[in-house]
Amino acid sequence: MLSPERLALPDYEYLAQRHVLTYMEDAVCQLLENREDISQYGIARFFTEYFNSVCQGTHILFREFSFVQATPHNRVSFLRAFWRCFRTVGKNGDLLTMKEYHCLLQLLCPDFPLELTQKAARIVLMDDAVDCLMSFSDFLFAFQIQFYYSEFLDSVAAIYEDLLSGKNPNTVIVPTSSSGQHRQRPALGEAGMLEGVEASLFYQCLENLCDRHKYSCPPPALVKEALSNVQRLTFYGFLMALSKHHGINQALGALPDKGDLMHDAAMDEELERLVVRSKLHRTSWQHRAKEPGAFGFQRREKQEALERVSSASVPTPYHYRWESRE
Amino acid sequence: MDCQDEVNCGLHLVIQTSSLPEKSKVEFKLNKDTSSFPGRLLQHDLERNYSSRQGDHINLVSSSLSSFPILQRSSEEKILYSDRLSLERQKLTVCPIINGEDHLRLLNFQHNFITRIQNISNLQKLISLDLYDNQIEEISGLSTLRCLRVLLLGKNRIKKISNLENLKSLDVLDLHGNQITKIENINHLCELRVLNLARNFLSHVDNLNGLDSLTELNLRHNQITFVRDVDNLPCLQHLFLSFNNISSFDSVSCLADSSSLSDITFDGNPIAQESWYKHTVLQNMMQLRQLDMKRITEEERRMASVLAKKEEEKKRESHKQSLLKEKKRLTINNVARQWDLQQQRVANIATDEDRKDSDSAQDPCQIDGSTLSAFPEETGPLDSGLNNALQGLSVVDTYLVEVDGDTLSLYGSGALESLDRNWSVQTAGMITTVSFTFIEFDEIVHVLPKLKIKFPNSLHLKFKETNLVMLQQFNALAQLRRIDQLTIDPQGNPVVNFTLWKYYVLFRLSHFSMQKINGTEVTQNDMIMAERLFGILAHVASSELPQYRLISILGDARKKQFRYLLESKGKKPGIINEENNDSKRLVGENTNRATLNYTTKDFYNEKLEEIKEKKKFCKTYIEDLVKEATEINMKNEALQKLWPQMFIELVRDAVIEIRNKNSYMKLCLQQITDQK
Repeated sequence: MLSPERLALPDYEYLAQRHVLTYMEDAVCQLLENREDISQYGIARFFTEYFNSVCQGTHILFREFSFVQATPHNRVSFLRAFWRCFRTVGKNGDLLTMKEYHCLLQLLCPDFPLELTQKAARIVLMDDAVDCLMSFSDFLFAFQIQFYYSEFLDSVAAIYEDLLSGKNPNTVIVPTSSSGQHRQRPALGEAGMLEGVEASLFYQCLENLCDRHKYSCPPPALVKEALSNVQRLTFYGFLMALSKHHGINQALGALPDKGDLMHDAAMDEELERLVVRSKLHRTSWQHRAKEPGAFGFQRREKQEALERVSSASVPTPYHYRWESRE
Repeated sequence: MDCQDEVNCGLHLVIQTSSLPEKSKVEFKLNKDTSSFPGRLLQHDLERNYSSRQGDHINLVSSSLSSFPILQRSSEEKILYSDRLSLERQKLTVCPIINGEDHLRLLNFQHNFITRIQNISNLQKLISLDLYDNQIEEISGLSTLRCLRVLLLGKNRIKKISNLENLKSLDVLDLHGNQITKIENINHLCELRVLNLARNFLSHVDNLNGLDSLTELNLRHNQITFVRDVDNLPCLQHLFLSFNNISSFDSVSCLADSSSLSDITFDGNPIAQESWYKHTVLQNMMQLRQLDMKRITEEERRMASVLAKKEEEKKRESHKQSLLKEKKRLTINNVARQWDLQQQRVANIATDEDRKDSDSAQDPCQIDGSTLSAFPEETGPLDSGLNNALQGLSVVDTYLVEVDGDTLSLYGSGALESLDRNWSVQTAGMITTVSFTFIEFDEIVHVLPKLKIKFPNSLHLKFKETNLVMLQQFNALAQLRRIDQLTIDPQGNPVVNFTLWKYYVLFRLSHFSMQKINGTEVTQNDMIMAERLFGILAHVASSELPQYRLISILGDARKKQFRYLLESKGKKPGIINEENNDSKRLVGENTNRATLNYTTKDFYNEKLEEIKEKKKFCKTYIEDLVKEATEINMKNEALQKLWPQMFIELVRDAVIEIRNKNSYMKLCLQQITDQK
């Protein structure tokens, strides 16, 4: 705990690096918002629950976008939550459009911006028609890169544009052995034939970027690996390579490997239970409900059926009482 | 002479014409008939083709001067039947010259083959001339018969009514069975009482003015389509229009104005086949006593007026209906137009925003493919132009509310206010389908609580052109009491293009156990698929949310529900209690889904705005805490650093102090006395 590097940082910086303040502020804000409800069962319990949920990664559910993207941990949690909730969609094999994925995202975060989803879709579709259908895994991995590293990617895009137009953004070139190999800019006439930019040059700039800036960026080593076997690349080719790279995915730690994407044993079990229950629920309802007679009669039946169903799944909150209509 | 047998009293004539050879001499024998002919001429007798019963001995001798036969009667005959002469069925082809009979009053040429009326100009005392069943093609040769009262020209070949100018005393004119196409040249016959134009080729009736004495007009068996001028006949009582081509009462409307008419026939006309025939005629011609040769009873008259009134009502109703329909159509068009404008405007704003936000390196984002291209500058003035055009339109409603049996249809956002109206319990109870068109879904969301209370039996919701774009929006429907059927029209609802929308609806609204979505039955498999696809979402949304989040989210939902009640006027305590129960039931609905709510964009932004203040406060509060903590930390660290030194100094000071025992003891005592 008391490692020297930790003590080396001044207080604010330490706190900032771990985003402690963000969570503290948010916790207090939540407390203020729901004062009446929370005061019923105690502030200490509230804080416990809050930070527990932060650890578990459930704190970002149904929160506003500004909070969801506030910290890397939040982003990872969000990605993970998205995967867990909609893995079944992917498992079903449906190919969806960008808009529909965006809808799903909005189910978890009501004001999620369309832009990000669009950018993610562009990665998958290589900047082609944005209305094409995408598979769940393709979209998810591309979205992961886009969402988690969004600021980084913005800068990369700028660098790419500069390189493409022939300008070298590095005014100060790091004196490495490769500087002598600085190639000439492609002549305008040849621009059409050579697509994208030089991989090595590109990587140099990225390295500088990673060094210079504080926001999260993929581990340079892994990036180098991704660029190792290409001579030239386009912007979206680069992003696609990033999204498909297993190492980066693992480094992020949000999603399982591509091969395991559709597997989540615990959740599948739970799902089976839910499906069975819903089957029972429906048949019992259909059983009982004959011709729609008096409204009250039907309601009662449904109520009873529901009681049986819901009580098993959710630990009954203490201050909700089922109304027995006997 | 076979024909003699048919005739009551035959005339046998001996005709001799010079042009014919001897053998064609035809001999007619005269039969003496004892039956006496009534001495007086009765008026009504003149109307019939009377057969002259004469016992004349008539001789027709040929004249050497002309080709016409000359008629001669025996003086016996002349004295007996001095004023009448019958030449029926004499196979005459021309009118014979009649000499020495200038006082004749009745002349009968029936059933001959006469083609021209001639040689009778000298019979200036003639009262009745009967030329029935001949071959006369033209009315002529009558100009001297100023006393003529009965002219029978039926069954001839007359094509035109003419040359009747001098017959001013004419009482009966019979022209039936001819080829007359037009009524003309009779306007001077002011004493004419009976006019028979049956079985001609008349196509219309007019030009009847001047017939001031006409009481009977027979127009049967023509091709008449319309009748005019009948109201100019002041004495007309009997009008026979059977077997013509009259199809509407309008074409004989002048009959209604004729106060003298009491007997009319229309049978054999198309009009007589109509369902409204009898009572329309009776209603329009109150003066009638007989229709189609049947007396009109009081009962019939009464029925007629009742039925006519009903017809009137029906016509008025249908007129009103068509007016309403037209108005409705115009209103809906207007609403649609406004909706389109609104959508375009929104799209343009969105394009602008996107342009500002998007990266310079990337293309401007595309929105819905159906909107206009992203040229906001161009559409700006166009938009205002359209606006001006709209304002120039006549005042048409901007919304429409329609109740049609069990369906309530709302067009345009203004219609939502109508839910506040005082609906009668009966009407509201009958409504099972509510249809929304040209209204933003977000606006509908706000009135769903009202819908729930005012129309408790609404089971089927229909949405068209309501801008349903997100699956989330369906969450809002969960607050209703019950939905059996949901219809989302693809027009104006992009959400239908999503692959998963139906499953999401079934999942989120599973507690309704919907029967149909967009007309197709919901099967068990659909429900299971829905559960499979989204079940984990529900699980996560309920069991993995921290307790306080659950409470706050559900609390929000409840607060929103109550907001309506707090805002509504004239609430009854009963309703509030029901709301309480309802909301509790809402919670019990299906807790694992209840956290999936929909807040409209405006509300959401509102909420975020409200939170901003709190966030600022929290920030400063935490900052203060951090400051305090860091200060304390700093002090702590500083103390940690300085403590060894301080400790040594403390120890050194103490040791130095105690080094000299004596002086230390003195010092201590001094301190104690000072203290006192």
